[in-house]
Amino acid sequence: MNKTLLVAKWEFIEKVKSKAFVISLFLTPLLIILFSVAPTLLMQSEESETTVIGILDFTKEYYEQLSSDLESHKLKNNTPAYLVRNLFSDELKKDSLIIKSDILVLDKKIDGYLILEKSSSDSLITNYRSKSVGNFKLISILENSINNIYLKQTLASRNIDVSVLNLFNNKININSVKIKQAGEEGESEFLTTFFSSMIFILFLMMMIIYSGQMLVRSLLEEKSNRLIEILVSSCSANELLLGKILGLSFLGLAQILVWVLIGVAAVGSALVSYSSFENLPIILFYFLLGYLFYTSLFVGIGSIVSTEQEAQQITSYLSIILVLPIIFLLSAMQNPESTIVNVLTYVPFTLPSIMIMKSNLMEIPLLEHLIAITIMFISTAIIVFLSGKIFRIGILSYGKMPTLKELKSWLKE
Amino acid sequence: MLEIKNLSKNYGNIKAVDNLSFKVNSGKIFGLLGPNGAGKSTTIKTIINVIKPNDGEILFDGNPINNQFLNRVGYLPEERGLYKKSKVIDVISYLASLKGLHSNEIISKANSWLAKLGVTDLRNRKIEELSKGNQQKIQFICAVIHNPDLLILDEPFSGFDPINQQEIKNFILDFLDNGKSIILSTHQMDTAEKLCSDILLLNNGKSVLQGSLQEIKQKFGGNHIRVNIDGDQSILNSFSEVISYEIYSNLIDIHLTDNISPSDFLKKLIEYVSINHFSIIEPTLEKIFIDTIKNEKTK
Repeated sequence: MNKTLLVAKWEFIEKVKSKAFVISLFLTPLLIILFSVAPTLLMQSEESETTVIGILDFTKEYYEQLSSDLESHKLKNNTPAYLVRNLFSDELKKDSLIIKSDILVLDKKIDGYLILEKSSSDSLITNYRSKSVGNFKLISILENSINNIYLKQTLASRNIDVSVLNLFNNKININSVKIKQAGEEGESEFLTTFFSSMIFILFLMMMIIYSGQMLVRSLLEEKSNRLIEILVSSCSANELLLGKILGLSFLGLAQILVWVLIGVAAVGSALVSYSSFENLPIILFYFLLGYLFYTSLFVGIGSIVSTEQEAQQITSYLSIILVLPIIFLLSAMQNPESTIVNVLTYVPFTLPSIMIMKSNLMEIPLLEHLIAITIMFISTAIIVFLSGKIFRIGILSYGKMPTLKELKSWLKE
Repeated sequence: MLEIKNLSKNYGNIKAVDNLSFKVNSGKIFGLLGPNGAGKSTTIKTIINVIKPNDGEILFDGNPINNQFLNRVGYLPEERGLYKKSKVIDVISYLASLKGLHSNEIISKANSWLAKLGVTDLRNRKIEELSKGNQQKIQFICAVIHNPDLLILDEPFSGFDPINQQEIKNFILDFLDNGKSIILSTHQMDTAEKLCSDILLLNNGKSVLQGSLQEIKQKFGGNHIRVNIDGDQSILNSFSEVISYEIYSNLIDIHLTDNISPSDFLKKLIEYVSINHFSIIEPTLEKIFIDTIKNEKTK
């Protein structure tokens, strides 16, 4: 058998067998799904317990309406979401009322309480006092309700029909529709598109970072115990380099395969909509191109390290370069045809991520695909060539990392 | 037969190997000796195609070395180590397959070598679970499993206990009987003296002593005697015929100038001290090594 294939086979099988790989194989999708779906799920889920809040209304104008508004919110089991206690009393002064109410909060008799008072200029001042300030859902309910009451009172005091308010509440939303072909619509919703693009790009990055680290680590092992000398005395450095890239690519393919299966299962269980997978073949193709490009880069640069610390340094630098495109993603999503996105589409470092995202957002002309693919192939070939130059010398030099000047002289050899 | 012609390798301004030429004959062990940093490893690495020389030729059986040649070389590096997390049999199979051995041959050969070295039961263990000595055995198997025509051993005995050293020595000698060539690089002079028939002594990348062990000893031979005396040993300093001497626990090895015969020296010495033992000895390789390198330094 060809020695390149032998190296590839070894790299593939030994890494597939490693525990770390098996864990990452299942952990990565799990984590990504968790991070992308869980917050949305949590936000949507209602609190399961009734919250008791107090109202300290020095204006005496809001309490009635506010408490009935709040108590109209129900939990899933139809019990009220909020119970309201009136904390106001004419017998006590403002300061002692506040102290008394604070004690109620600290004793956990109530969750928090709202103070309403009029300022000297007759505008309304409201404070919500509680042990934590994170309850933005309750705050937004209170705000809506108070604003509503305030508007109604103001309108009434000026003799304007209160039903005018309904006009404000009728908001108009715009549906965005992706055109596939003339007259044919693609199903697309911003959030779904965003998440499915993000998920694929995150997958790509995690996979590259993970297998890059694995690669650098195994190179380090071979270097530190001089196995590399045995290997290079058995096959040429180029065969070794190509074998490693090939082996890792197979590893990437295997990973993708498992993840696609997980994805199909997720679609089956209706966790993810089918439309996220519509562009799958194109996305996977760019995924693979990106993976190949970065793997070749990792092999070359990874070959110059000779200690664990250096390996960590180098892989974290590379990871940063890799993650950088995420900064542009949001703006790219908002305007996929802006100049910066168009430029990034032709830079091999960002091309795969941008193309994955773009193909979810819009129909990409065939010519653009062809140009992108050609760029990827050519730049990967260049990287393989340069990596080969560095690799051949890098794997056999120990001690300190080479300086840029030394690297330059390696490239010239 | 391996032939090295005018080999040179520079690292920047440092000449690691400087215009080196030598021949390694089949059926012989060639000793590549020298102090640390003399250029032994660099020489070996250029032979196995790990380092490209700046200048010179390496011929095997008259042909320049190529990828085919790599399949006929076995190499045991000085610093040992294998894939720690992998199984013994997997590592052997991988390295053997890279040497062009077919998979159906590999298993039977691996099994027979494991049996020869008495480590059959380690076949399916992970390398990291093995003792250091056993790891060395596996590494030795990896170097020889493809039955190489040229075997390069860098400190092959380090890390082995005396019994295993003997065992490895026998395997090495078996190789010679089959007409293979062996290059042995070592600091153990007594081992080199016992095993090598040809010697190359390197210093600062240059050959300082080269030839068959026999010739070298004759050339260096001169006058070496071993005595055991009662009395003041410092008396030896007063003889102009004594070039150098080395004191062991109860013996003294003396290097005499060529113009006095051992028996004449004995007559002179006996006037000052009583002598319990007297013999004529050949210089050890160690002695030759140390003297030559010292001479080089004073030059």
